[in-house]
Amino acid sequence: MSQIKTDLYPEAMRGGGRESAAFKKAGKVLRAEIISGGTGLFLAFFIMGHLVLESSILLGKPTYNVVVGLLEKTLPIAQVLIFIVTIAFFFHFVYASRKIPPRLADRRKMMELGLSIKKSRRWWNQPKSDIRLKNHLETSLWIWQVRTGMAVLAMGAFHLFLVMWNLFSDMGFAGHAGLTAQISANRVGSGLWILYLLLGITVVTHLSIGLYRLAVKWAADSLDRKSIYILCNLIFWVFLALNILAVLGFAGKVSL
Amino acid sequence: MARKITFKIFRFNPYDEGSSPFQQEYKLEETPRLNLFSALNIIRDEQDPTLMFDFVCRAGICGSCAMMINGRPTLACRTLTSDLPETIELFPLPFFKMLGDLSVDTGVWFRGISERLESWIHTDGTFDTKSVEKLMDNELANEIYEADRCIECGSCVSGCATANVYPDFLGATGLNRIARYMIDPRDMRDNEAWFELVSTYEGVFGCIGMMACEDVCPKNIPLLDTFSRVRRLMIETGLSSKSTLLKTHS
Repeated sequence: MSQIKTDLYPEAMRGGGRESAAFKKAGKVLRAEIISGGTGLFLAFFIMGHLVLESSILLGKPTYNVVVGLLEKTLPIAQVLIFIVTIAFFFHFVYASRKIPPRLADRRKMMELGLSIKKSRRWWNQPKSDIRLKNHLETSLWIWQVRTGMAVLAMGAFHLFLVMWNLFSDMGFAGHAGLTAQISANRVGSGLWILYLLLGITVVTHLSIGLYRLAVKWAADSLDRKSIYILCNLIFWVFLALNILAVLGFAGKVSL
Repeated sequence: MARKITFKIFRFNPYDEGSSPFQQEYKLEETPRLNLFSALNIIRDEQDPTLMFDFVCRAGICGSCAMMINGRPTLACRTLTSDLPETIELFPLPFFKMLGDLSVDTGVWFRGISERLESWIHTDGTFDTKSVEKLMDNELANEIYEADRCIECGSCVSGCATANVYPDFLGATGLNRIARYMIDPRDMRDNEAWFELVSTYEGVFGCIGMMACEDVCPKNIPLLDTFSRVRRLMIETGLSSKSTLLKTHS
């Protein structure tokens, strides 16, 4: 078994069993796919849980304080989770961005094709034809996933930093560190509501498209694509509403 | 009552030094059940004998007539003009080598795919003419046939943003082909061999999952179903601790 690195010499790859360079290279590709999909799935579920728990502000500040107290003081879940999420966040960025074409010209090519197939749907008169023509917007959805992903990378990194710092030290939002309704409300009130709103919209878009793609990629044979599409649409609208309501709740404009 | 249809057809001859691409307009009166195969032939016979396009079977079997019809790659012979608006824009398939106007060379690329994937049955067995042929159960035969229905028209690769950006990508048709050999019990290649071939950026993990391949496939081959099975087989092979020579169906 040779120890020579062959990444720079693809022609040196030859097949033949589990110890071969070609097999190991294939293993790396598989690992990258698992990491990007796995961190994506984890982050998606984390965000959904995050939005649900954060929406407890709609039931009033005391309820919210009970929820965050459970997560921060009773059990140090928040302190541990924020590090895990930050690590997953950057791993997800590195591994999920590997398929974005590096050249602008290539991205434009994708865009042109995506738009052309999406627009074509309007011109077909389906029932008359013997070809079953399906609506196609997934190529442009992917482009939106990349765009929202970039937005989430910028805004999410800021949000993660702020929350992590504020979790352990007083940043002057409410005179104490940690998680309380007062800190959150003051953060929203300080003008950061625009960040939370935009981050919420982009992250929910990104995760609903991502979950749809993940389900189709790995389980298209056992799940019905149309049902997945409807479910992910539902996830999108429900969590979008939840995010907007929660921001309004922190701003003191809405409560149940 | 009959519509007057305007065809805007992409014209370019890459072998003519003086040629530069443009869209030429043709007008044609619509007749009942007119399909693009007939329409293009009428235009060539009556209006412009220099128009280049490919047709062989005119029945959705040969796969020669795939082109971009109003932005969607599909077969011209199976497209009725009545399904389309009064202006029909025709472009050749992207991705493939252009021969002129609407004509592209899909054959060379498909041959290359066959060679790269070695898409033939690999077996050590000897062929005995006297023995009864090995039988296959009907369900498996149907499943193999489902993948074999591919007519190699190239619509899936033309509609694939990944293939258009990374030309080495095997495309939906290539992956569908190799998946067909994976389930064929006569092919003796093991899961490790599939893993090296398909668990790559040229293979199934190069796929970004934009799903156009299945949506434009004129033969409605369940491509996405096949790819999820292939992906799960790759996980199984990559993560299993020791070599498994088991076929997926045994």
